[in-house]
Amino acid sequence: MTATAEHTFEGSERYYLDPELKSIVNIALAMEKPLLLTGEAGTGKTQLAFEVGKALGMEMEVLRAKSTIKGEESCYNQDTVLRLNDARFGAGETGRQVDKFYDYVIWGPIGRAFRADKRVVLLLDEIDKTESDVQDNLLDILEECSFTIREINETIKADIRPAIFLTSNAKRELSDPFLRRCYCHHIAFPSPDQMGEIVNLHYPNTSPKLVEAAVTIFYELRDRGFEKPPATSELLNWIGALEHNGQMPERDDPPLIGILLKRASDIQQYRDGGGKRRFR
Amino acid sequence: MPRETRTIDDMNNALFVDFLYTLRDYGVPASPKELLDLNIGFEKGLVKTLDDLFIFSRLTFVRRVEHMDGFERAFAFYFYGVDIPAVAPDDMDLFQTKQFREWLSKQIEEGELPERALYTMDPQELMEKFWETVREQMEEHHGGNKWVGTEGNSPFGHSGNAEGGVRVGGQSGNRSALKVISNRKYIAYSEKNKLRSDNLRQALESLKHMKNVGAEDELNLDKTIYETSRNGGEIELVFEREKRDRMDLVLLIDNGGYSMDPFIDLTRLMFSKMHERFDEIKTYYFHNTIYQHVYKDFRRTEPLKTEKFLQRKDETRVVIIGDATMAPEELESPHGSLYYYAQDPRSSTYWLKQISDRFKHSCWLNPVPKETWSSIYGAWTLNRIRDFFEMEDMTLGGIKRMVEHLSET
Repeated sequence: MTATAEHTFEGSERYYLDPELKSIVNIALAMEKPLLLTGEAGTGKTQLAFEVGKALGMEMEVLRAKSTIKGEESCYNQDTVLRLNDARFGAGETGRQVDKFYDYVIWGPIGRAFRADKRVVLLLDEIDKTESDVQDNLLDILEECSFTIREINETIKADIRPAIFLTSNAKRELSDPFLRRCYCHHIAFPSPDQMGEIVNLHYPNTSPKLVEAAVTIFYELRDRGFEKPPATSELLNWIGALEHNGQMPERDDPPLIGILLKRASDIQQYRDGGGKRRFR
Repeated sequence: MPRETRTIDDMNNALFVDFLYTLRDYGVPASPKELLDLNIGFEKGLVKTLDDLFIFSRLTFVRRVEHMDGFERAFAFYFYGVDIPAVAPDDMDLFQTKQFREWLSKQIEEGELPERALYTMDPQELMEKFWETVREQMEEHHGGNKWVGTEGNSPFGHSGNAEGGVRVGGQSGNRSALKVISNRKYIAYSEKNKLRSDNLRQALESLKHMKNVGAEDELNLDKTIYETSRNGGEIELVFEREKRDRMDLVLLIDNGGYSMDPFIDLTRLMFSKMHERFDEIKTYYFHNTIYQHVYKDFRRTEPLKTEKFLQRKDETRVVIIGDATMAPEELESPHGSLYYYAQDPRSSTYWLKQISDRFKHSCWLNPVPKETWSSIYGAWTLNRIRDFFEMEDMTLGGIKRMVEHLSET
């Protein structure tokens, strides 16, 4: 897979990159399409965008979506309170002029990304939290790489299209028009081998025996169908704690189980003899 | 459904138009726009090997993870000439697929398997044999397929790390299209798949935001300022409706009788997820079908008059969970209830009609898979009940359709 050398992503030191995912990222970069990453927690969706930014030396602009977000404020905000205040009491020595709209604009992450003079990485994190009409609006904006400032009817258009990443925890279904406009990739949970590599990146000096035992137990626990199965970050924390304590994980009675299982009902179920088989 | 596999000439003048149709045959909603995107990518030189093509076309055509398996099968068919049945590798439904049937009769014809293999052999072994053949076919990729192994003639040019254009089996962690497809890891997300706690949560989540009502009693500061300034400094207060996700949902669960026994786990899962999703949810129980009472408790000792139940607001969403299979007279005749103490002069159909008339947004959720609705024991009553209620099965697709029924306004 080739793209211009400066825009080819090869992974980075602290991030294990699946070869397939690497191709996908590079295709999205070359095609200048937003890349929507879905997958359960702990599959490194958000981190991927940061790693791309780091590896390619691009600045990051991040929008962390909330359910109350309307879309416009992620492009720009007019500080109306300040403007009202200035109109009423004068701007003093700030140099702001009440009749100049742009003196009162606060750019949101999308606005900053479009106005940047270099290619940046724009990350819209957990996009599924927003309302569906907001999503559609946002995608119009992202596809055109431009938005209109409603108050003065001026259009801001990106000269350089940012590399756009979106993540979704699949809490809610995204609409079809939304999906049609991005590339979508579902990051599957890492296989035990991949997980070994991930752990090695984080704990290069930990004994392979400990890592192997921990990873094995981890996948056994995941297979038991807990309400909240342990994810990558929990495994990493667990291995860190085990190493700190100098403990060796044992299959029959793994120490510090509370790091892996978070919900009370899961811990109870675990204590009661290990839990049911995963529901099929 | 299957089309002829491709020849090299097609590639030179067609822009994969028939691949588009193959995809649609396999349930992937692909459109010409994506085909154009695909060709833009070709021009940009994104595709050098069949693996590149696999990843790139998947990105271009597949939007939802539930279409992933369909895509992989379409790709296997179009580029490898292998028709993979749409069932999971360990699913007994395999025996009902056309592909399996054809394979079996061919095997018997060739004397590889005994005449009555389906009845005499261990099903597990038979399944494994079938999948083995599929894997072999994909690795050999013969059968008139000219995409693969054309080396110098390949439209994708030479490929440095591949043999004959495909990386068979993958090397040093490289994932080849082939390996990805034979993993079938996306079958779990396919619409036909049964429910698990994670995909169920996702399906129910979309029931949200159906009702954004409430009094206009929330001050919108932004708009107030905006309006005030438009109003020349005269204060103009802007109030808005509070946005709340509120829905009145009632579950009616069939928890009696042996016929529901095989579905207890599934029903329990559904039940717990519904509770997780909605703060306020009312649950009543019944046995087989509904007469003049429903019950407030699991053991069915605390009756509530069905008439009383019917007095709930008509915008209440009613979800009935039950297998809907019983003896016809239980449903149709007066005094139909199995319980001797039930003195109900009206038949259950009367009550079901009352419920469906009163609550327009209702749905009957049936743990029995839809494919067997016409053939299982009790099919008559099941289909009779469908006269009153939209009925869906407890698959991911069924739940999504249920959500649609309940969301209608």
